[in-house]
Amino acid sequence: MQTQVSGWERTAQVAVLKGFGVGALVVGLIALVAVAAVRETAKPKEQQVEVNSAFGGLTERPAMTAAEETYAQALWPIHALVKQNAVNMAFAGIAYKMGDIKRAGVKARVAPLTPTFDAALARVNKLQPPASMRELHQEYTDAIMLYRSSSVTMVKVADDGLDRHLIEAHGMSDKAAGLTLKVGDALWPGEYKPN
Amino acid sequence: MKKSMKHALVAAGLAAAATLAAPVAQAQVCSAWLVENSRFMNVPFGMFHPDRSFVQGSDNPRNNVNKVDLPVNVGVIKCGKELILYDNGWNWTDYHKATGTGHWSPLSKQITQLGFDAKDVSKVIVGHGHWDHAGSLDEFPNAILYIQREELKGIEWALNYPHPRISAVNDSPGGCNRTPACGYPSKTVASIYGKVLAGKAMIVDGDMDVMPGVKIHAAHRAHTAGSQLLEVNTPIGKLMFGSDAYSSWEAIRDWEVANIQQTDSVQQFLAYEKCYKVTGGYQNCVSAHEPLSYSDKYPITKNHWVGMNGGRLAEIALAPGEKSRKP
Repeated sequence: MQTQVSGWERTAQVAVLKGFGVGALVVGLIALVAVAAVRETAKPKEQQVEVNSAFGGLTERPAMTAAEETYAQALWPIHALVKQNAVNMAFAGIAYKMGDIKRAGVKARVAPLTPTFDAALARVNKLQPPASMRELHQEYTDAIMLYRSSSVTMVKVADDGLDRHLIEAHGMSDKAAGLTLKVGDALWPGEYKPN
Repeated sequence: MKKSMKHALVAAGLAAAATLAAPVAQAQVCSAWLVENSRFMNVPFGMFHPDRSFVQGSDNPRNNVNKVDLPVNVGVIKCGKELILYDNGWNWTDYHKATGTGHWSPLSKQITQLGFDAKDVSKVIVGHGHWDHAGSLDEFPNAILYIQREELKGIEWALNYPHPRISAVNDSPGGCNRTPACGYPSKTVASIYGKVLAGKAMIVDGDMDVMPGVKIHAAHRAHTAGSQLLEVNTPIGKLMFGSDAYSSWEAIRDWEVANIQQTDSVQQFLAYEKCYKVTGGYQNCVSAHEPLSYSDKYPITKNHWVGMNGGRLAEIALAPGEKSRKP
């Protein structure tokens, strides 16, 4: 069945339809804004984890990504050996300066450390750091190279007994220690607890 | 004959008088301050002082405190022209977040608040070699480091132990589990070695008179293998600085262990006993991490004020003629 409508009525219907359309559009926009607002407020905040700190105290840090976590875990055993050998190298110097060992003793204790740093470097070079950790990776690589150079330099004291080799080596070790500390802070927060 | 005898008697008398007077003339009375190098925030009390572990719902004041803030205290001692530090805090800013640290400032800057200059520090006596007590040596280039030989031997022994669990500098990320080489990062050891290399280290074997009125007492294994205490003569009596052998003053008062690391609890109690014996009680035992520091509840630190970055200072004792440094 078809109904007839007058021109005025048609005009009125069009106006009503237009008004309805605009109203629907406004309502739709409001709804969109509301949904966006709700989604935004419901969006989880940056993921944070609790890490060990002083005597087990807690601080908050952004969580690592899976790739970062994998990298940190892979570097840890290498780092454990590097810092142990670094400390051993310093103790060889202390023992020498305290008169507990002779020049040859420095060589005997430090020369075997050089290949351990080579091995550490080879292991580190095989790691694939995520993009976010490439700078740290480079710093860690630099640290191992410094330790290696330090060990080679330190051993020279066995040849001529000159302290300048020890001083030069110590400078390199000190710089390397600073780098490993920085990397350690990023990868293994709370690595050293307050004692 | 009579004349020569008389001269001899006078000479003997003078010699005897000089001998008797010598210790009095040499007795040095020192001034002492305490500086909070940093503060470890929100530390579970029981991790630090086991007898004070938090018990949920407890109304016992000994067990109803969950977390405490621990200062890292450094002793500043002036004896005549000698300026001595006992411990020297730490300065690795990278570590502040990880360790929940607040109120840190470089120690060399902090002592300027007392009117002292880092280059005038003549001696740094470390209670032990852990990183938060021997971590600012590079800020005091002219100072002689005093460290126990036993401390160095203890670290080296652990490093070369055949089992990796024991030889590890630390055996897991996020903590040391109190293994014997724990707490001695390569940076700290490099700093100690730097002092040795520069000819600015005194390797101490046991007790030692540093100068009249200032004496090192060995307290081996009271916190670490080569812990050492420092006795200082002041106008308020003798003080005994104890570093982490005296981590908690309340523990000394109540005879309880605290901050157990590479610690033999019997040796820690003997270190407490040393303070009682030398100073006549527990009031003058100066603690490294006492949470009550800089308050009336730890009376020797009650004359305190707040300095740069919120770090606190206390004026413990002033030698005759020494001006107050308190603003």
